Amino acid sequence: MSVIIISSDDHQTGQEIAAATARAMGYSELGRELLKEVAERHQIAEAKLVKALDDPPSFLGMSRKLRSLCLAYIQEAVLGRLVEDNVVCQGLAAHLYVCGVSHVLRVRVLSDPEKEAQKAPNQKGKPTEAGEKEILRQKKLRRRWSMAAFGLDETDPSLYDLVINLDQIDQSEAVDIIKDTVGYRRFFPMTYSVNCMQDLELAARVRASMLKRFSDVRVQARSGTLVVETAALKREKQKKAKAIREVAGEIPGVRYVEVHVINDIFRRAAESFR
Amino acid sequence: MAIITISRGSYSKGREVAEKVAEELGYECLSREVILDASDRYHIPELKMVKAIHDAPSLLERLGHARHAFLAYYQSALTRAVQTDNVVYHGLAGHVLLKGVPHVLKVRIIADLEDRVIDEMKREKSGEQEARSLILRDDQERRRWTQSLYGVDPWDSSLYDLVIHIHKFTVADAVDFICRAAFLEPFATTARSQQKIDDLALASHIKAVLVEIHPEVRVACEYGNVLVYTGSDHRTVHKLEDKARTLSRQVEGVNHIEVHPGVPASSISV
Repeated sequence: MSVIIISSDDHQTGQEIAAATARAMGYSELGRELLKEVAERHQIAEAKLVKALDDPPSFLGMSRKLRSLCLAYIQEAVLGRLVEDNVVCQGLAAHLYVCGVSHVLRVRVLSDPEKEAQKAPNQKGKPTEAGEKEILRQKKLRRRWSMAAFGLDETDPSLYDLVINLDQIDQSEAVDIIKDTVGYRRFFPMTYSVNCMQDLELAARVRASMLKRFSDVRVQARSGTLVVETAALKREKQKKAKAIREVAGEIPGVRYVEVHVINDIFRRAAESFR
Repeated sequence: MAIITISRGSYSKGREVAEKVAEELGYECLSREVILDASDRYHIPELKMVKAIHDAPSLLERLGHARHAFLAYYQSALTRAVQTDNVVYHGLAGHVLLKGVPHVLKVRIIADLEDRVIDEMKREKSGEQEARSLILRDDQERRRWTQSLYGVDPWDSSLYDLVIHIHKFTVADAVDFICRAAFLEPFATTARSQQKIDDLALASHIKAVLVEIHPEVRVACEYGNVLVYTGSDHRTVHKLEDKARTLSRQVEGVNHIEVHPGVPASSISV
């Protein structure tokens, strides 16, 4: 009757824990196989979606606009599944955008450092200094990714309800801890928390549909009422707000749209030199 | 049967959790008692001890060595206090000072800043601004303290076995988690893990004695065989060797002590 989101510093560990937890609880599992569906729906290469989830920002890498678009499509699909409950979600960065919903348990699992170091190249059973440096480098890149994608540091423990370190605790014990935790009453869905999840889903759906045309929109939803924030020059304000209202108004579930246009001072400054 | 260390930001309900865990499990609860014990055994004024343990070192202090001695005393008192098992310790740096002992369950309790500010305002009957400044300053001090002395960030989750965020969870929930985790197999005391804590206690005690001769001495101990690592200054080495010979006769549990000058310390040394 709950949603469990598992984040890990090692993708394989996260997958294993998620699979074991889903099996133990009789929940469905939501992982990267969802990307195929997203790719088909939005006519975008699955590899790009994977890149958007994995690659940190770089000069020669994916553009910010494309990354935002890919992540918006992923968010829309994930939240569409999470409204159903009884799901264990892993590998889709849900811990970074599913916030404020009380029946969601967000868990971070830290892999056994020795096992992790062994995966680094040229390890022969023992972590070497080079292997450990590589792990630290990967962690730094991962932090950069989460800051660029969602403005949050995914290693910050305050993003989670629980952090479990597999250095001493083994995977089956971690699954038991998660299973016991989600049994607490506060992780049962309530009307309010279900509404919060539905609001997140609606906002994600609206944003995904608008992002190609309006690349700077921010959307919040509450019980069918949308607040859309965007930036525009003074002369375009009315036109842009009208266009956004038209697009958003056609999306199922939207009852009312309010558009807040912020004066785009940077564009104004840039254009004033022409 | 475990040793539980609970690390917390200031006003994060960590003390409350620790006391309730101890009550629930029938364990001893330690915090300030360790400081009192250390200041008694090593004849240091309590206030000085508290300052050394609590405050981040200033620039001058980082250049000096006094703090090394205080930390050695504190670690000796702490390891002695937890040696007998079934202890809940809440205080500074338990997760660092008891590193390498398998049956130590390291827990960190975190709480949202806004909740902590409200608690502080209620407790001290202060304004919001004042409460917030105090908490942020305290957090910074503790972070700087651990980083400057141990090179680790206390906010790094990988230092702990469990990190519990008190916001959806209540104190009672956190107590429940910790009590259940304490009975997990990795945290059961075994002969080997007891030996490790005994070795750590012995190494810490010997370091606390030798640190007066050389502040940067490192000590490792396995099954009562003690290795002392130090720089290669001959005068200090002689003094250390003399003291080591005395200690090997006086201290119970010591099989053998060797002094290794100019050799890099082993990873298990304190």
